Amino acid sequence: MMFVLRMALRETRASWRRLLFFFVCIAVGVAAIVTLRSVIQSVRDVFGQEARTLIAADVLVSTVRPWTPEARATIDRRLAEAGAEARVDTVETPTMVRPADPAKSTTRMVELRAIGPEFPLYGTMTLDGGQPYRHEMLAGRGVLVRPEVLTALGVTVGEPIVIGQLPFTIRGVITNEPGARVGNFSLGPRVMIDLADVDATGLLAVGSRARRVLQVKLPESRIQPLVAQLRTDFAEQFVNARSYRSDDDEIGRDFERAENYLSLVGLVIVILGGIAVSSVTRVFVLQKIRSIAVLKCIGARSGQIIAVYLIQVLTLGLAGSVLGVVLARLAIAAIPYFVEPIDTSAAGTLLAEVHYGVTWSAALQGLGIGGLVSLLFSVVPLLQVRFVKPSLLLRDESTKAPFDATRAVAIALVSAALVALTAWQAASLTIGVAVCAGFATLAVVLMAVGRLLVQVVAPLSTSRSFPLRHAVLHLSRPGNQTRVILLAVGLGAFFIVGVRSLQASLLEELSMQTSEDSPDMFLMDVQREQVEGVRAFLADPANGAGPATLIPVLRARVIGVEGRETQLESFEDVRARGSLAREYTVTYRDALEANETIAEGKFWSGPSSEPEVSVERGLSERFDINVGDTVRFDLLGRTISARVTSLREVDWRDSRAGGFMFVFRPGVLDTLPQWYIAPLKGPTGSAARVRFQHDLVARYGNVSVIDFRDILLTIRDVMSKVTLAISVVGALVLFSGGLILIGAVAMTKFQRVYEAAVFKTLGASTGAIARMLLFEYGVLGALAGLVGSLGAVALTWGVSRFALDIPWRLFVGEHVAGVAFTAVLVAAIGVLSSVDVLRNKPLLTLRAE
Amino acid sequence: MIVRRRTALVVLLLALSIVAAAPACGSPDADRPGERPAAAPAAPPAADAPRPPATADSRPRLVVLGDSLTAGLGIDIEDAYPTLLQRRLDEAGIGLRVVNAGISGDTSAGGLSRVDLALDGDVRVMLVALGGNDALRALPVDELRRNLSRIIERAQARGVTVVLAGMEAPPNFGHDYVVAFRQVYRTLAEQFDVPLIPFLLDGVAGVERLNQSDGIHPTAEGARMIADHVWAVLQPIARDAVTRPAPAGGEAGRG
Repeated sequence: MMFVLRMALRETRASWRRLLFFFVCIAVGVAAIVTLRSVIQSVRDVFGQEARTLIAADVLVSTVRPWTPEARATIDRRLAEAGAEARVDTVETPTMVRPADPAKSTTRMVELRAIGPEFPLYGTMTLDGGQPYRHEMLAGRGVLVRPEVLTALGVTVGEPIVIGQLPFTIRGVITNEPGARVGNFSLGPRVMIDLADVDATGLLAVGSRARRVLQVKLPESRIQPLVAQLRTDFAEQFVNARSYRSDDDEIGRDFERAENYLSLVGLVIVILGGIAVSSVTRVFVLQKIRSIAVLKCIGARSGQIIAVYLIQVLTLGLAGSVLGVVLARLAIAAIPYFVEPIDTSAAGTLLAEVHYGVTWSAALQGLGIGGLVSLLFSVVPLLQVRFVKPSLLLRDESTKAPFDATRAVAIALVSAALVALTAWQAASLTIGVAVCAGFATLAVVLMAVGRLLVQVVAPLSTSRSFPLRHAVLHLSRPGNQTRVILLAVGLGAFFIVGVRSLQASLLEELSMQTSEDSPDMFLMDVQREQVEGVRAFLADPANGAGPATLIPVLRARVIGVEGRETQLESFEDVRARGSLAREYTVTYRDALEANETIAEGKFWSGPSSEPEVSVERGLSERFDINVGDTVRFDLLGRTISARVTSLREVDWRDSRAGGFMFVFRPGVLDTLPQWYIAPLKGPTGSAARVRFQHDLVARYGNVSVIDFRDILLTIRDVMSKVTLAISVVGALVLFSGGLILIGAVAMTKFQRVYEAAVFKTLGASTGAIARMLLFEYGVLGALAGLVGSLGAVALTWGVSRFALDIPWRLFVGEHVAGVAFTAVLVAAIGVLSSVDVLRNKPLLTLRAE
Repeated sequence: MIVRRRTALVVLLLALSIVAAAPACGSPDADRPGERPAAAPAAPPAADAPRPPATADSRPRLVVLGDSLTAGLGIDIEDAYPTLLQRRLDEAGIGLRVVNAGISGDTSAGGLSRVDLALDGDVRVMLVALGGNDALRALPVDELRRNLSRIIERAQARGVTVVLAGMEAPPNFGHDYVVAFRQVYRTLAEQFDVPLIPFLLDGVAGVERLNQSDGIHPTAEGARMIADHVWAVLQPIARDAVTRPAPAGGEAGRG
């Protein structure tokens, strides 16, 4: 044993420069893993906080009926079982308020929220002037209001307003309210009172429209079980439970997408690091073959030799991993300095909230992967040691090993360990297996491509150009690095390009939802005779509204379909079809909206007295409605048989003008009773918005104005944070992925320097050798990049579709750039890493070897 | 317009929920689109429809101008109270055909805009059952009064007998609003001398088992109770109306 240790030590001393390189390569790989995983973990924590702030709790239990004692008893029991840490009751109801001063006769519809003393469980409520919120402010009939209330009622802080039958004194103005009903719209601004005062207002009587919400804070691990339990308990009752992670609404799904993306990136970086470490290890071990032959000559046994090198690799792997963790710590500490100058907006606060440190679990994972992967990948090549003959020293023959059971078992074990490692990282065996299978497929493709490449370029080996000829010969000579580079670089390009494309796709998805010019107000129930007036009102610059379209709408029921594939004679037939039988809101117009395209048929132009209809494609597929079919509608008691002349594809994510299942050709519906809706961008500034609403409603009393700017702003704020986090992580992937590839490619230089030196001795110019290297690495890089990029297309498709649940988009730019970038990078590293050979006298290299 | 589970934008969700089933006489909160099959089926087509349906019926008509409560949102059309009224009429041997002119989400303003169409043809009686959505959106009571009075005026101008069904505003809008809202129906009934059903949802609203999960729309059992108390008021009027000759503004044409 002592011998083994001593040998390992001596070996290390003898080739310390090469070992140092190996060591650094491992460190870079591990540093990339640890950095990214730490950042991702922190960002995810922040996402969690943000998501909690949106609903201001871990779990909401709500009902639109008064609580029954039995329901409360059940909830109390479940909360006790789940170890709830805190809870607060709230009640929300729309109501009317007016100034207590009878001289002011205005009233305003508001959304009242009565809160218990523990509110809010998460987030902070901020008041105008930076005043901190304390529950005592609401004591003695106090009320906090949104600024819109002050403007609408013409009152100021300190004055009383009447809620129900009681006067309340305005104690402050709310600027930010945690858990402000995102996902629901409101008919008025927020007003908050103490829960203890709500009964006295008399607003909560039989028939009142009120939502009672119990907000709960509890340990993370108990959240999902509690929600599931409550849903079972109240399956038949009107009590609903949801957690902050709920994906009931789009914002919840966005969080989930962002998280999925981040875990994917975390997994990818581990694999990338693993590839780098493994290819470095492999090259390192192959370099030792000659020394092994010498050792064998002087009587060393295979077992001893394997032990010597395993100890060496493992020590270096672990030491490199430790260095990697240190590097990661430094890199993470540096992130704020890079990010802060770029982003000082609100989103920047996210990064300020991120904990910049290496998390313990990430560090341990990094160490584990560094050590484990270098061990796994050194075992298989080291087993070849058993077949290294001393004669190798004399005759430079390649060792053709017969079938080797031990080696096969070792490979199987290594593969199993890799799957386990991936599954551990992905926290799912299925994903682990899937990723490894994809990885193996791509590896096989890359191998095949490598072999194909060698054959394809073989004719060039008679080329007149010296560098080209030798570059080709190098690719096909025994013991070449073609496969190693193709594999490492190809897989690297695959993951990096894939992650970048996914990032672009995800960001586009998010930006679509937070677009600045999306409508933030909605008018409903504009009557026909009011249209001209409302249009003029909206167009009047004095009112400050953005461009708006008034959309005429009618309600219609499908009562029959006659077509090649579908025959629904009567309304009963239609109803048997399920969801086709309901009231649809339909419109008529002459042009497609920006978010619509014609999938089949032709869209009309101009009015017609013959009814024609364009059907949304999804609906047409579900109910087998085709172009040429006739759909019978009941419109206000009239039967209208409309011919389907086109199928429309509607991009529902971008529906500024709403989306319609059925659009009619103008000419038939125009004279029927109808009303108008109008999504629009309201004036900026809350005072202007209040005035706008007030003036409009004063003139057109039946029109309801729905203002959801606050909701949009909240979503935009959260989404910009998510976007920034994703971008930062994406940049880190590119940077660390690049470093890993550099390490993996540069390591192959040890196979190249000896040849370069020999060529030089034989009279090749430095330039010729550099060109030769350029060709060789350039071709390899381009090819690896190409295969990787193509693979990335498949990766993005699969991930978009199955993991992120977003439509697949192809970013050609990302893929082309990926190929070009990889080729240039690999060629540059190939030349640069051999620069010492090119510059120095060849003898130096020959002697050293 | 359908509302998919995957509507991306909250805006869209809002827009759709408003446009689609949402304010179908329902609060925005409880009445999210796509959650209910909304099997409210077709009203019998009017006689002047472009293509007279096979079930053309030449009996004089009783039109129910209403909202989702009338349209039978969330329940089968066979269970909606206008269908039940038709059955009572048939049983009583009164030759009136009930036309369900209920449109989910309609306010009094919407009702006004389509009252002429609803009155086209030989209409003898019109039951005005509007205001539910005005109440849920706390629209100004003056607006409600104005719209309803115009609806009644137009019907009476054609010689159609009007029956007014009252609606209550939910108490959360405050005592003042609730009282003012209730008063609109009483004042109008007096002013135009029309029979009043004080509250369409009398005995149904607020009773757990008679309402769907949104707490707004009655179940089939709730609809039966509505039909009961509507029938009590309607029966003598219907009998009387059907024996009268067709009103002047009737078959001949438009007013």
